[in-house]
Amino acid sequence: MISVPHYLAVGAILFCLGLVGFLARRNLIVMFLSAELMLQGVALNFVAFSRYHGNLHGQVFTLFVIAVAACEAGIALALFLMLYRRKRSLDVSLWQSLREPGVDETTDPEPLPPGPKEEPLPRLPPAGVEPVREERQYV
Amino acid sequence: MSDFGALLWLIPALPLLGAVLAALFGATRGLKDWAHAPVVLTAALSCACAIAVAARLAGSTDPVTFAKSSNPDDRLHWFSVDSGTARLAADFVLSADHLAGTMLLAVTFIGFWIVVFSVGYMKGSPGFARYFAIVSLFLASMTLLVLADNFLLLFAGWEGVGLCSYLLVGYWHHKPSASDAARKAFLVTRLGDVGLIVGMFLLWLMAGRESMDYDEIFSVAAQMLADHPVMFPAACLLVLCGAVGKSAQIPLYVWLPDAMEGPTPVSALIHAATMVTAGVYLLARCAPLFVVVPGVQLTVATIGAATALLAAFIALTQHDLKRVLAYSTVSQIGFMFLAVGCAGPAVPALAVTAAIFHLFTHAFFKAVLFLSSGSVMHAMHDVIDMREFGGLRKVLPVTHWTFLAGALALAGIPLFSGFWSKDMILEATLEAGHAARFGSAYLVLFGIALATALMTAFYTFRAYYRTFWGELRMPEGAHPNEPWVMTLPLIVLGVGAVFAGILAEPFTHWFSNFLTTSPHLVRVSSGQTMDHHLNWPLMLASSAAALIGVGIAHYLYKSRPGAAEKIAEAAPTPYYLSLNKLYVDEIYTLLFVQPLELLAGMCRLVEAVVYDLARLIAMVPYYAGRGFRWAQNGLVQFYALAMVLMVAGLLGYFVLFAK
Repeated sequence: MISVPHYLAVGAILFCLGLVGFLARRNLIVMFLSAELMLQGVALNFVAFSRYHGNLHGQVFTLFVIAVAACEAGIALALFLMLYRRKRSLDVSLWQSLREPGVDETTDPEPLPPGPKEEPLPRLPPAGVEPVREERQYV
Repeated sequence: MSDFGALLWLIPALPLLGAVLAALFGATRGLKDWAHAPVVLTAALSCACAIAVAARLAGSTDPVTFAKSSNPDDRLHWFSVDSGTARLAADFVLSADHLAGTMLLAVTFIGFWIVVFSVGYMKGSPGFARYFAIVSLFLASMTLLVLADNFLLLFAGWEGVGLCSYLLVGYWHHKPSASDAARKAFLVTRLGDVGLIVGMFLLWLMAGRESMDYDEIFSVAAQMLADHPVMFPAACLLVLCGAVGKSAQIPLYVWLPDAMEGPTPVSALIHAATMVTAGVYLLARCAPLFVVVPGVQLTVATIGAATALLAAFIALTQHDLKRVLAYSTVSQIGFMFLAVGCAGPAVPALAVTAAIFHLFTHAFFKAVLFLSSGSVMHAMHDVIDMREFGGLRKVLPVTHWTFLAGALALAGIPLFSGFWSKDMILEATLEAGHAARFGSAYLVLFGIALATALMTAFYTFRAYYRTFWGELRMPEGAHPNEPWVMTLPLIVLGVGAVFAGILAEPFTHWFSNFLTTSPHLVRVSSGQTMDHHLNWPLMLASSAAALIGVGIAHYLYKSRPGAAEKIAEAAPTPYYLSLNKLYVDEIYTLLFVQPLELLAGMCRLVEAVVYDLARLIAMVPYYAGRGFRWAQNGLVQFYALAMVLMVAGLLGYFVLFAK
C-alpha cells in the first residue's frame, strides 16, 4: 500500500536533487532545470496532501505552480539567450558584476574545460536575389 | 466715453508690450541693439494717450473710466472671493480723475524723455535690452498704480514698481555695492508695503467687508471713524507706513541714497521723478480718510518736515553729486508730505494741490538735474565725486545750462518752477498754522520748512559751483562729449523746469483749476475752495531764504575757495555728523541688522546640532552594514547556498528546540 509518506519521500528526493543541481552546476540552463525539479518536488507534495485531505486545494496550487513555472521558463530562457549573446558562454560565474564595491571577484581555481567549437549558423541570402544554385549531380 | 476708456487701458498696456518686445529683441542676435526702439515708440504712444485723456478731463468734471460698472458682474474680474458675509473682489477697473491725469502726464511725459536719454547713456552697455525691458515694465506698473480704481489694483502696480526698482538698482549686479543696494531698497520698502497691505485690509474690514473700491471706502470715512475710534487711525497710520517706505521718509529713507547705484537715468526716472512720489500720490488719493483724523495728519506733516530738514542737513556736505541729489529728493518729498499733511487744518484742495504741484514741478527739475549729472558722469568716465572734477562749464556747455535751470528751480529762486510750488506748500502750512487744533505745531513746521528752503538753496548751488566753476579739472580717461540724443531730453526737461511753474499756476491757475475740478477733491474739501492770491510777505520770505542760501554757496565756493574747509574745521561736530549721514545707517545696523544676524547665527548653531545628531544616527546602520559587505559577492549560487543554510538552520531550530 502506497501511503502519503511515500509520496513525501519521493517529493523530498526530487527537491534535494534539484537543490544540489542548482547549487553545484554552473550551466545556466541546467540550473534552471534543477529549479524546475525542485518545483515539481513541491508540486508532488501538494497533490499528495490534496488526496490525503480529500479536497482540491492542493491541486489548485499545483496548477498555479505549473503555470508560473511555464512563465518563468519563457522569461528565464529569453534572459539566458541575451546573456549568451553577450559573453558566448552559459557559465553563471561570469556574471558577478552586481557585487559590493571593494569585494574581489571570485575566481575559479579549476576553470571549466573549453566547450565544443561553435558551428557557424546558416545564413540566408539577401532578399530579392536569386540564390546561387548548387548543381547537383544526379546519377 | 468708451473710446476714452479704451485709451485708458492702452496707457499701461503699451509699455507692457514694449517691455515684452524689448525682451524678445534682446534674445535675438540681429535685433539686440535695437531693443530700445519698441520702448521709445510705446512710451511715446502711451504719452500721447495720456495727453488725450488729460485733454478730455480738462473739458469736464467726470473721471474717465474703463470697465467701471455698478454691477459687479459686468466688471473684469482679476479674482474674487465671496463667502456670503464677506466679499473681496479685485476688479480690473481703471479710472482717471484729474489727480490721476496729472500724475499720468508727469509719468509718461518725463518717462518718454528719460527713455530717449537712456538710448544715448546706455549705448554699448551689456544688458542693453534688459535695461529697456525693465524700464518699460516700470512705466506700465507706474501707470497701472496711478490708474487703479481700487486698492488691490493699486497694490499690484505698487509692487510692480518696487520690483522694477529692485531690478534696476541692481542693474550692474556683478558689483557687490549695487546688489547690496538693490536688496536694501527691496527689503526696506517691503517693511512699508506690509503696513500698506494690512492697512488696506483693515479699511476693507471696517467699510463693511464689501469692496476695495476707492469710492466705497472713502464715502464711509466719517462713519468708520465713529465706529472704530482706534482702529481707523491705526489703519491710516499703516497706509502712511506704506507711503513712507515707498517715498523714502523717516524712518525708512535709508534705501534711497544707496539706490543711486543704479544707472543715472533710472535714478532720474524712478528714484526722483515718479516712483518715489507714489507715496505722495497715495496720500493725496487717501485724503478723504486722512482729513477726518487731524492727529494722523499732523503725523504726516511732521514726518515730512523732519525728513526735509534731516535730508537737507545731510546733503550739505556730501561729496558725491548723485548723493546730494538723492538727499535733496528725500528732502523735497518731505515737503510734499508736509503739504499733504496740511489737508484738514488747511483747505484740503489747497494742500493737496500744493503737494501735487510740487510733485509735478519736482519731477521736471529733479529729472533734469539727475540727467545732467548723468551727462557729467558719462563725460567723466563714470566718476561722480565732486572732488575729482570742476570747472566743467566750458567742456559741457549744454549740461551746464540745463543743470543751472534745474538748480535754480530746486533752490526756489523766484520765477522758476520750484519757487511757485514751494511757495504754495509754505502757504498751505501757514494756513494750517491758523487752525484751532494743532495750529502752533504747524507754525513750528512752517519755520522748519523755511529753514530747509535756505539749506536747499545752499547745497544745490554748492554742487553747482563745485561741478561747473573753478579751474577745469577732470579725472583720468574723461572724454567730455554730449551726443544729441542726450542733450535733447535735457533741453526739453530743462525748459520744463524753468517754465512749468510760472505757466501752470501763479497767474493762470491752470493747474489748480484742473486739479480741483476732480470730484475726489471737491468732495474732500466739502464745499471749501482755495482762494487764489499772491501772498507777498510769504513770497518775500521764501525768496530771501533761497537767495541767502545761494549767496552763501556763492561766497564759500566761488568767491573764497577754501573758506568752506575753514568752517568745517571750526565746527567739526556738525560737519562730521552731516558728512556721515548722522550715523543713521550705523545706528540701524546696531539696532536691527546685528540682532538679526545674532539670531540667524543662533539658528545656524541649532541647525548644526540637529543636523549632526541626525548624521550620527544615520552612521549606525552604515557601520553595522560594513561588517557584512563581503557577503555580497555577486555569485548567484553563493546566495542560494546561504538561503538554504539559513532555512535549514531555522527548520532545525524549530524541530529540535521549539515546543
